[in-house]
Amino acid sequence: MATTCATVSPEAKKPNSITINGFRISTQKLPILKADPIEEMTRKLGIAPPEMIFGDNYVAIEHEKGTWGINFNAFDALDLVDKTGQSMLQVAYSGEWQKSREKTHEGIKEVVKPFDWSYSTDYRGTLHPNARPFEPTTKPIPIELLKRPDPILFFDEVILYEDELADNGITMLSCKIRVMPGRLLLLTRFFMRLDHVLIRLRDTRIYVEFATGEVIREYVSKECEYEKVRQMLAATRDDIPAFLRDPNRLSEILPVVEKRSERLVLGD
Amino acid sequence: MSDLDQAIEQLRGCRLIPESQVRELCYKARELLIEEGNVVSVDAPVTICGDIHGQFHDLMELFRVGGDVPDTNYLFMGDFVDRGFYSLESFLLLLCLKVRYPDRITLIRGNHESRQITTVYGFYDECIRKYGSANVWRYCCEVFDYLALGAIVLGASSTLEPTSNTALSSMPADSELETESLNSRGEVMMSTYRPRQRSSSDASTDSRNISPPRDISAAPGQAAAPSRSGAPGTGASGDGNGSATTSRTGAVLCVHGGLSPLIDSVDKIRLIDRKQEVPHEGAMCDLLWSDPDEIEGWGLSPRGAGFLFGGDIVKQFNHLNGLSLVARAHQLVMEGYKEMFDGGIVTVWSAPNYCYRCGNVAAILELGEDASGGGTVARSNGEYGRSNGIVTDNRVISPGRRYRVFEAAAQDTRGMPAKKPVADYFL
Repeated sequence: MATTCATVSPEAKKPNSITINGFRISTQKLPILKADPIEEMTRKLGIAPPEMIFGDNYVAIEHEKGTWGINFNAFDALDLVDKTGQSMLQVAYSGEWQKSREKTHEGIKEVVKPFDWSYSTDYRGTLHPNARPFEPTTKPIPIELLKRPDPILFFDEVILYEDELADNGITMLSCKIRVMPGRLLLLTRFFMRLDHVLIRLRDTRIYVEFATGEVIREYVSKECEYEKVRQMLAATRDDIPAFLRDPNRLSEILPVVEKRSERLVLGD
Repeated sequence: MSDLDQAIEQLRGCRLIPESQVRELCYKARELLIEEGNVVSVDAPVTICGDIHGQFHDLMELFRVGGDVPDTNYLFMGDFVDRGFYSLESFLLLLCLKVRYPDRITLIRGNHESRQITTVYGFYDECIRKYGSANVWRYCCEVFDYLALGAIVLGASSTLEPTSNTALSSMPADSELETESLNSRGEVMMSTYRPRQRSSSDASTDSRNISPPRDISAAPGQAAAPSRSGAPGTGASGDGNGSATTSRTGAVLCVHGGLSPLIDSVDKIRLIDRKQEVPHEGAMCDLLWSDPDEIEGWGLSPRGAGFLFGGDIVKQFNHLNGLSLVARAHQLVMEGYKEMFDGGIVTVWSAPNYCYRCGNVAAILELGEDASGGGTVARSNGEYGRSNGIVTDNRVISPGRRYRVFEAAAQDTRGMPAKKPVADYFL
């Protein structure tokens, strides 16, 4: 079989970026990966990537002096997903389904390539290889300073991956960044709702104060059983399905299961 | 202009029709669909389409690229609704076209054509938002229950007529065009060829006692008269077990998801009682939900529900049923289509820039009509396969496949997410 191929060159799109007070912030947003890069990623990761895999997307913060930098990308986030199947969840109707299956197809027992298909990750960013490490701190991110209506000089929202869990809910990893004259805030949020089973939210915030070179990284993991959340909402007059789709609102009611804060001051 | 033609005009403009008219339309559609078997029989030429997901403007682009109904014969493999912002307009237009031109458009059921799924993924909310009540959602769900589960395409040509701008000189000698991928401007992006040496000498290695020589260069007007054993769509069959009759090009089975371990023949699909909500298990569920995977045999999805099937399963199923290809939808593919298992199965995806953010292209698959005059040749499907259980490599010839790849329509921005994100003071 002979094959001729006229490839289409992808549009050369420059990343968005801003340089401010010695920091360079850049983002890149491209379509989901094509078949070949997906295959390569599958091979490198050892698991099948999510259905919507924005493998070329990223958000990066780099300090111009020295070698400090942090970036957020899909591959590194997925590399932290459990690949053994030990923390594997099951969809709500799995019990029912398994039972009926046992009756009819006893022969089919093997779970194909088990792994955490909810793509849950505790990814907190990829540090520059020579970056100084963070140190634990109790100092919180100064929320009051971030609540001030300072002008936003740069803003972007970048999806790293998303999967519909075969129509059993949603899982999504996305980043938002806003840069003001004196500081920046980056939020990378992992949101997973497995219908009738579990809701999980894992936020990583990076705060940078330009004048002092202070960087704070905060990781907060929240989760709760789906039914418990529904019961909490049943007492309210909220539109429950809409609430369950909105990670911002869910964030207000989900209990915290883990929190870690780290800090670093960048010198000249 | 009849009410129906007027409704079609209105829906083409992305304007909804009144609730009373929807009710009437759904009633008529049900009357029509109830007459269809679980597996509809469709004659080539036909254009096969995958998921639409309420992306109305992209559906219009699809018709622009593939031709309008009724000029083009269409087969949509389900997932008309959910996700996109115009599930109602998209589904109602397709339904109007179905009622208006029943023989020129075939709709089969996807896993999203279900009460449970539409309440979670957008169609229910859209009905409430646009009609103020759940009535229209209910009418549509009743139609969903009557949609066929699959289709069999018969009489497809094994080779493609080269498109006008195909440089004939680039075609290797002694070969014929097997697949071609065109962009929305009709330019050839990719072609594959197969050797023309498919004469009776090939057939002599065929242990089966079937006659048709596989010489596709045979003169048109050959004696083999179409003698299909009963209309496959009705389940009526002349020889007791045959139904998916094959032409020299094998038939093409179209389903939304894939195969089921409970289904070893196309006839078994015909036995399902389909007029119900999509169940959580069983053959009907599998046909709408399962996925092919690079595995051997059958496997369980790690999610704890649902099957995965490997290339050997497809090969065997195609062989036993005289099929050359399974066409299915259900999974997003960046290139719009993806062939697997030596071309034994193809995923067709027809929602470009899925969810308005994936940046993927979409595709439709055109199967041409076998013009060599032979048409279909009766053969009792499954008979020899079941008797000796040996799967040989004697496959029927796969159809010539022309993929038209297209991008998302430049849409008006009503209700669309802003392309540039709006800065917000998130914390």
